[in-house]
Amino acid sequence: MSTQTSTAAEINTTLCELKPGQQACICDLTRVHSTIFQRLLDLGVEEGSHVHMKRTSLFGGPLTLEANGQLFGIRRSVARLIGVKHT
Amino acid sequence: MTTWTTALVGNPNTGKTSLFNALTRSYEYVGNWTGVTVEKKVGQLHRQSGALIDLPGIYSLHPMSRDEGVAVQYLLHETPDTLLNVVDASQLERNLYLTVQLLEYGVPTYIALNMNDVAEGRGIHIDPKKLSAALQVKVIPVNARRKHGISDIIGQLQSANSEATAPKEPLSFQLHYGDKVEAAITQMSALLPEANVPLRWVALQYLERNETVQHWVHNRLDSAQQRKLELIGEETENQLRAHGQALHLAQHLRAVRNSFIREVLSSSVNMNERKPHTLTERIDAIVTNRWLGIPIFIGILYLMFKATFEWIGTPLSDALDAFFSGPLTVGVSSLLDSIGASSFTHALLEEGIIAGVGGVLVFVPQIFILFLFISFIEDSGYMARVTIVMDRLMEAVGLNGKAFIPFVIGFGCNVPGIMAARTIEQPRERLVTTLLVPLMSCSARLSVYALFAGVFFESHQALVVLSLYLLGIVLSLLLAKLFTKRMMKEEQSVFVVELPPYRMPQWQTLFRNTWEKGKGFVRKAGTFILGGSVLIWLLTYAGPGGFGVEMDDSFLAYIGGLLAPLFIPLGFGTWQAGAALITGFLAKEIVVSTMNIIYHAPDAALLEAQIAQAFTPLSAFTFCAFILLYVPCLATVGILRKETSSWGWTAFAIGYSFVIAYIVALLITGVGRLLGYA
Repeated sequence: MSTQTSTAAEINTTLCELKPGQQACICDLTRVHSTIFQRLLDLGVEEGSHVHMKRTSLFGGPLTLEANGQLFGIRRSVARLIGVKHT
Repeated sequence: MTTWTTALVGNPNTGKTSLFNALTRSYEYVGNWTGVTVEKKVGQLHRQSGALIDLPGIYSLHPMSRDEGVAVQYLLHETPDTLLNVVDASQLERNLYLTVQLLEYGVPTYIALNMNDVAEGRGIHIDPKKLSAALQVKVIPVNARRKHGISDIIGQLQSANSEATAPKEPLSFQLHYGDKVEAAITQMSALLPEANVPLRWVALQYLERNETVQHWVHNRLDSAQQRKLELIGEETENQLRAHGQALHLAQHLRAVRNSFIREVLSSSVNMNERKPHTLTERIDAIVTNRWLGIPIFIGILYLMFKATFEWIGTPLSDALDAFFSGPLTVGVSSLLDSIGASSFTHALLEEGIIAGVGGVLVFVPQIFILFLFISFIEDSGYMARVTIVMDRLMEAVGLNGKAFIPFVIGFGCNVPGIMAARTIEQPRERLVTTLLVPLMSCSARLSVYALFAGVFFESHQALVVLSLYLLGIVLSLLLAKLFTKRMMKEEQSVFVVELPPYRMPQWQTLFRNTWEKGKGFVRKAGTFILGGSVLIWLLTYAGPGGFGVEMDDSFLAYIGGLLAPLFIPLGFGTWQAGAALITGFLAKEIVVSTMNIIYHAPDAALLEAQIAQAFTPLSAFTFCAFILLYVPCLATVGILRKETSSWGWTAFAIGYSFVIAYIVALLITGVGRLLGYA
């Protein structure tokens, strides 16, 4: 899957940078902790999934996102490790 | 013939509980089954169709938390006759991942396709016949909430039962994982231990690094065989990597399954016009709003207590109390007179049992109202939002928002609260949460507060009680900071939560859940509290000087008096308080029974008058705070031992809470005296 090398131009930002209402496509999940990676897979979130930033919280709290009609929450520190491409 | 068993499996939030309730007449929790010390929920299916076993909700067979390990343990140790897989039609793709793993298990499987209405509402149209053909299993559309399709499922399970005498058909479902993996499976099958479980399934789960399965296999093999199995896995993974197919075996298996699922979906699902959940989005915009989230949550808790104490619970409790102290006591008394009972029997029944057990039973309405609210929060989908709202605060103390769920459930009863901590993935984080749940003020402690608040803080009951709850929460946060700092240095917190769409809980499910949680309290009143009351009363009736002695010369006064000096600095150094604290370890509500018996109070009004003399407002509040913290009750100690599997941690939980209780009580007394309360 991720055997092809992604160029820097493709990974133009991380999930954490999205503003509420923006959408993007996940392209890099290799840097997240394995348990979190597994949990995201469980929710059907993988490389290639489209995510939609719904809401952010105060004081750097968790982010609410949506993928495939599924709402879920993750921490900002994790979102910082997820590479996305704008669509 | 042994009972025909069906296991109910499905992702979390798919309506599994509703379906379980609709399919079964009655159910019970059965403790300690093979291999694991977790209770399973077993229900009796309608029309004598055998037993239905409810397994915890899981996303895949790969367990990430202790809770999820239970399902795999079950499949390894006890082979069910059939599987019933609940599938959420609105999240079909991700639900089918578990389905594929279940089909590989090889037991006849039925799919209950639930939440079709939600799926249709979002523009997803599923053809059950085509889905059935693509998966080669029966797909039964159901609406668990409206009870549609329930008789179809029962019918299918019954026919499966009657066909079972015929020879089993060979496993029909098999995915091809590519030559390298298939070769590995063949090699492994020769090495794997013989069991009731299909070898191909075990091999696949082993290759996927399912730790529960690997552990099970390794326990049954010697070290040379284990090494061989590990080598096969490593070699296969290296080959896949060399051919650029995948980095890991697990990734490869997932990719094969997912491509199969996509084929299935393309043949049976039409989702051209997908629409968002508008209602859920609108509610979320308010309750998880960045500014309003926490105030709304606190407001909901406040409403919960307001309803429990002032609006609904207390009037009901008062009515019940009037009944116990009036008609019941009078009735029992005249009945005893008519049969010529001795004064001993009179005293035992009226001063011992009615005062002791009745004193606790009057709180049943309040406790059920509280449980009803907690069930509502759980069933509506709001609980998941609480984790988001509270995560930032919990992160500051080293835990994550998910730990808040055990805390909230702990308000009802600490025992299920501690069990709810199983859903936390990281072991240290779970341990810290488990150790802190006993600080959550449970409904049994509520009866103590209600008694004292009724005497001393009549106009501010909800506020005083809320302050005790907040005291528990604040202390648990401070201690969490301390514990996580010392114990969780290298562990990263895992916080990924699913936010299910909001649903209006059904009354029937709500009442059933409330009863399920509350019945333990009623049962305890009939057993523990009854026995305890008789014992306590006997200890007040007898003394070193014989029977029928003055209360102050009784055994109970003697025992309580031993502890009393310890509590003098806290403002309640009487033998009565000491005795209540000792008996309170059995169950916190026994404190109320003890007070009732000691103060010879046949009803709440008299008891309150007595207590008003023995305590001051300050010492009453201190006493309540001490009761909140001083030691987890016997049942909680039992579950702590079970969940931590360690007497050391159990002793730690008891020890730290006593120390904290004493310090807090000293602080309250000190500050209170400084402020001029005596």
